[in-house]
Amino acid sequence: MIIKKPSIFIYTFCPDKDILREICAGMEEEGVFYEIIEQTVGNVDELAWQAANDSMLGSGIGVSGKKAALQMRGIKKGNNIVCYETPDKSQCRSLGANSARAIKKQPFKL
Amino acid sequence: MSYIIAGVDIGNSTTEVCVGEIGSDGRLSFLTSASCSTTGTKGTLPNVHGVKTALKKAMSRINKDIDEISLLRLNEAAPVIGDTAMETLTETIITDSSMIGHNPSTPAGVGQAVGKILWIEHIDRAEPGVPYIVAASSEHSYEEIASLVNAKADDLDIAGIILQADEAVLVENRLHKKMPIIDEVARIDKLPDGVLAAIEVAFAGQTIRMLSNPYGIATLLHLNAEETRAITPIAKSLIGKRSAVVLKTPGGNVRENVLPAGEIYVQAEHPFTINLDEGADRIMKEISDAGTISDILGQENTNVGNMFSRIRQGMSEVDSSASADIRITDILAVDTLAPVLISGALAGETCLEKAVGIAAMVKTQKLPMQEIAQRLQKELGVQVEVAGVEAVMASLGAITTPGTELPLAILDMGGGSTDAAIVSADGQVKMTHQAGAGELVSMLIETELGLGDRHMAEQIKKYPLAKVESLFHMRMENGQMTFVDDSIDPRFYGRVVLLTESGLIRIEQDIPMEKIVQVRREAKRKVFVTNAFRALRKVAPDHDLRKVSNVVLVGGSAQDFEIPEMLMEAFTEYRIVCGRGNIRGIEGPRNAVATGLVLSYLGEKR
Repeated sequence: MIIKKPSIFIYTFCPDKDILREICAGMEEEGVFYEIIEQTVGNVDELAWQAANDSMLGSGIGVSGKKAALQMRGIKKGNNIVCYETPDKSQCRSLGANSARAIKKQPFKL
Repeated sequence: MSYIIAGVDIGNSTTEVCVGEIGSDGRLSFLTSASCSTTGTKGTLPNVHGVKTALKKAMSRINKDIDEISLLRLNEAAPVIGDTAMETLTETIITDSSMIGHNPSTPAGVGQAVGKILWIEHIDRAEPGVPYIVAASSEHSYEEIASLVNAKADDLDIAGIILQADEAVLVENRLHKKMPIIDEVARIDKLPDGVLAAIEVAFAGQTIRMLSNPYGIATLLHLNAEETRAITPIAKSLIGKRSAVVLKTPGGNVRENVLPAGEIYVQAEHPFTINLDEGADRIMKEISDAGTISDILGQENTNVGNMFSRIRQGMSEVDSSASADIRITDILAVDTLAPVLISGALAGETCLEKAVGIAAMVKTQKLPMQEIAQRLQKELGVQVEVAGVEAVMASLGAITTPGTELPLAILDMGGGSTDAAIVSADGQVKMTHQAGAGELVSMLIETELGLGDRHMAEQIKKYPLAKVESLFHMRMENGQMTFVDDSIDPRFYGRVVLLTESGLIRIEQDIPMEKIVQVRREAKRKVFVTNAFRALRKVAPDHDLRKVSNVVLVGGSAQDFEIPEMLMEAFTEYRIVCGRGNIRGIEGPRNAVATGLVLSYLGEKR
């Protein structure tokens, strides 16, 4: 039997290393587990939406190249909570932190 | 030919109009009504603008022009104007910055630590055997900090870490040795190098214990009795925090100042002097025992003195002709706690200071209503007259509420003042004006929640709260859940919001919903329940509330979603029928005076 930890899913497609690292740091600081899974589609909306739906916690992130998006289960594909084209360091951190806060039911960092 | 008359009521915050028509048979029928904000201070010429706006609004509803009005009747506004002011009585001052207490969302590690502040840049110069607390600015990454501390862990005694960036958990996850870490200290640059400091991070779900206790600080920093007394304000202001830093600065000095609040001199049948320090309850008791008050003054060059002179000055602008004859005839004092920024603090810490909010009632000779009437007549080309005393008109209007009869008491709760009137069975009217109403409630909410924004305080006063718990549901303040089909805007996620007619309004401050509800209800109770009893006692036969049978609540604050219920509860033990008025059966508690003005025309004609 495969037992999975409840975690945020990050679906990636050729992700920018620095961006991915900062997003993960944001989640780690909030104390929530995450899993990074490489995918074969490049559409960031699709990645984020699928990640949110597959995650047991209902929170997912898509990273495609330098693009990054945050999604939650129950929200239509494309209606990302936030989406950045080329996020800077603090935007990456807050994206990661907000994906964790979505689960903790805490207000988002702006 | 029909005759159209309009009643206009200029109030402290709202201008209301009511339009009626007298048919050829001499019967009166009401056509329309409207209201808008009062422009300028009540009873001054700038009011004309608001009156015109309200009239236009009302007449456009029945597709008529203003010049079709045959007669405009203005209220003889009571020459009383309410004003509010707030003064803090105590003040905490910290010189030489000696504490940081705040609630970072994610500190790391638990427990307390004592050591000398060591900047991470100077870590090579540190001596073995000396306990240190490492401080790092946001220029250093979490990986860098963790590896530096790990490298020195065997040689040096590092007891804790203070960070500027929000990275406490990130650093902790990479450390071999566990220690308390505090992050998000914005003004970390103010930490003096080499000074003894104590830090504490609370256990999950708890608040700090050692640093919010004067003896705890004394234990950690080895203070003597005198020094312990001096740091008590620090301990007090750290209560309820999840993490804190306290520094022992040799020249540092914290003191709690008691500001000279000053004395209030009341000139009345039974004159008295009272110090503001005695608290609102004592002041209000003395005021009620004083009999008729002719004027209230404050001690010069004190907070209360300045407060009263500010109010007086504001009023003299209204009536410049007789500035010497502006008198404060009533005050309502309310005790409150205000979060005040501590002078000399590092991270914008606040401390709850004792404060007193005061609403004052200012009596002038007579408001220049005649001037307003003349100006209106000139600008509109309609005959304008000043008619009827406000309280009488309000009573007349209130009687149109279904289910009322004489004798009847009305409680007019507006923005600036709470007025009461009793109409006896034979039509005699007795009335009073009391200081303190909606505006004082807004001020109390603003200061107690530390909003610094009067508009927001007014919204909080008006609308119920909810907490957005997910993107698809929210919990109302009464515990009820509401689900929505379309997802709620993520900007509201996890936040406390106000439910208004035009959607949600987010409360920016991180204040729990329960706390806001409590402050809001307490402010309303302190002002309106106190004032309702004060006002009704003054006008009741023999000052006995049991001799009042019916009370109709009118005015803007009677529209509030909870004030009428609060009053109903408070009045039950006196067997008083009390409820929100419903003017003409359709207007709710609004428009009483304007309706009364139209109605009274019939009476005068006879």
